[in-house]
Amino acid sequence: MAGQNARLNVVPTVTMLGVMKARLVGATRGHALLKKKSDALTVQFRALLKKIVTAKESMGDMMKTSSFALTEVKYVAGENVKHVVLENVKEATLKVRSRQENIAGVKLPKFDHFSEGETKNDLTAIEVLVELASLQTSFLTLDEAIKTTNRRVNALENVVKPKIENTISYIKGELDELEREDFFRLKKIQGYKRREVERQAANAKAFAEEMVLEGISMQRGISINAARSLLVGGGGEKDADIIF
Amino acid sequence: MYGFEALTFNIHGGYLEAIVRGHRAGLLTTADYNNLCQCENLDDIKMHLSATKYGSYLQNEPSPLHTTTIVEKCTLKLVDDYKHMLCQATEPMSTFLEYIRYGHMIDNVVLIVTGTLHERDVQELIEKCHPLGMFDSIATLAVAQNMRELYRLVLVDTPLAPYFSECLTSEDLDDMNIEIMRNTLYKAYLEDFYKFCQKLGGATAEIMSDLLAFEADRRAVNITINSIGTELTREDRKKLYSNFGFLYPYGHEELAICEDIDQVRGVMEKYPPYQAIFSKMSYGESQMLDKAFYEEEVRRLCLAFEQQFHYAVFFAYMRLREQEIRNLMWISECVAQNQKSRIHDSVVYMF
Repeated sequence: MAGQNARLNVVPTVTMLGVMKARLVGATRGHALLKKKSDALTVQFRALLKKIVTAKESMGDMMKTSSFALTEVKYVAGENVKHVVLENVKEATLKVRSRQENIAGVKLPKFDHFSEGETKNDLTAIEVLVELASLQTSFLTLDEAIKTTNRRVNALENVVKPKIENTISYIKGELDELEREDFFRLKKIQGYKRREVERQAANAKAFAEEMVLEGISMQRGISINAARSLLVGGGGEKDADIIF
Repeated sequence: MYGFEALTFNIHGGYLEAIVRGHRAGLLTTADYNNLCQCENLDDIKMHLSATKYGSYLQNEPSPLHTTTIVEKCTLKLVDDYKHMLCQATEPMSTFLEYIRYGHMIDNVVLIVTGTLHERDVQELIEKCHPLGMFDSIATLAVAQNMRELYRLVLVDTPLAPYFSECLTSEDLDDMNIEIMRNTLYKAYLEDFYKFCQKLGGATAEIMSDLLAFEADRRAVNITINSIGTELTREDRKKLYSNFGFLYPYGHEELAICEDIDQVRGVMEKYPPYQAIFSKMSYGESQMLDKAFYEEEVRRLCLAFEQQFHYAVFFAYMRLREQEIRNLMWISECVAQNQKSRIHDSVVYMF
């Protein structure tokens, strides 16, 4: 999966590690909060849905009665009564006002009806319609909000956090490797140094031996080699020809 | 002269009277209405209607059928029948037939005038007009800016001109509420029609004066009931009542001062023809009043066919067809809206 290998392109330094860790903390907290918001919105959504179902049923009945009432009027006053009424109306008695309501952090529109002037008529059908309109717009807005929130939660959970985690592990890996390189370098240098010291010591010993040999050879008037073999030969193979 | 029409009526009117009686035989009967009431949906209704005279008008309609389409097509048939009769008629029958459509013309004029005042498109308004009430210059009604121009430009050429002079001066025309104007026009129309019928004399005068008197009284009662509780003063209300009919003049006096339905009922029960109607309704209920009036009207219209050699059969036939269309509209709407239990509330059976 792409998630396994995705990481941010950063310089693997300690500061960056600190920055990445801070980001991870932020992402985790954001994820938890958004999840809570999403759950709260879903609860509201379900309640709204129930209300819409009841409103729609009652609207169905109301519309049936209203429609029938219209038929009765048409029977008495002829088919054109609709146009006659429409032409004679000057201003609406029932008006609708819209306002914003804040539900769990989401701004939902809501319609209120209010009447201006009195009328003898029974306006319940229109009032139910207004309420239903209000509920349905809230439903749609809430749906959008839930989708966005869920999208964000999923993005955080499946994209951002893994990326940051991968980046952190990469930085840690790089840092460890740097440290190991350092250590190895150190050890290597130590090895070189030791060998150097040992070589120096060996050289010094050889030189000292040379000096002694020279001294002996000068004293005895023999060659260096004979002196060496004399010095060495104390415990070595005796030349049979030499008497003492 | 009453009684001698049999000698001369058939010269000019015989053919058309026969046509009208033929049409009358094609009106839907109670059995037809019962069949229609049993229908489950609008296609069934279309099927039943295709067996009647409406068949040819409805068969080309695609489903799904709409109640307004049914009503439109039936009205179309009515208009066709009417035009056929009109073009065959001579004087004075043609004037009589023209009088029948003035009521619709008044409705159309009022519709277009209000529509223009509210700045609606002329074409839309013309489509909404009743086909029986169309006249040639109807589109020019939309051009006029105020009532005076309206009268000068358009209405003075139509037969409605004398009715407008009744609407008093042109200042009144501007301010008058449109419904009051409509009712004033209709009142003038009824009185004019009444005078014309009286001039014709004979059986026509007798039967038509009876029918028109009933119409005038019915409108008076409707105006009274609808203006209870509104700003219409008693004087204005009295001005809208016609100057003939059973209720004229004493009944009108009493109706003008009525303030609620029970008072109206009290007034009407003094007149025997209307006592029967009002006794069918219990106290405080006015829903059934319209249906009761329609039933009474239909009864009188059917009686008009019992006599021969007069013009009232044409009037009766047109009114009966309008009632039939109303019935069909009611039945189709009840079936379409699934309210079959209420179907019998408002269907008026004719034969």
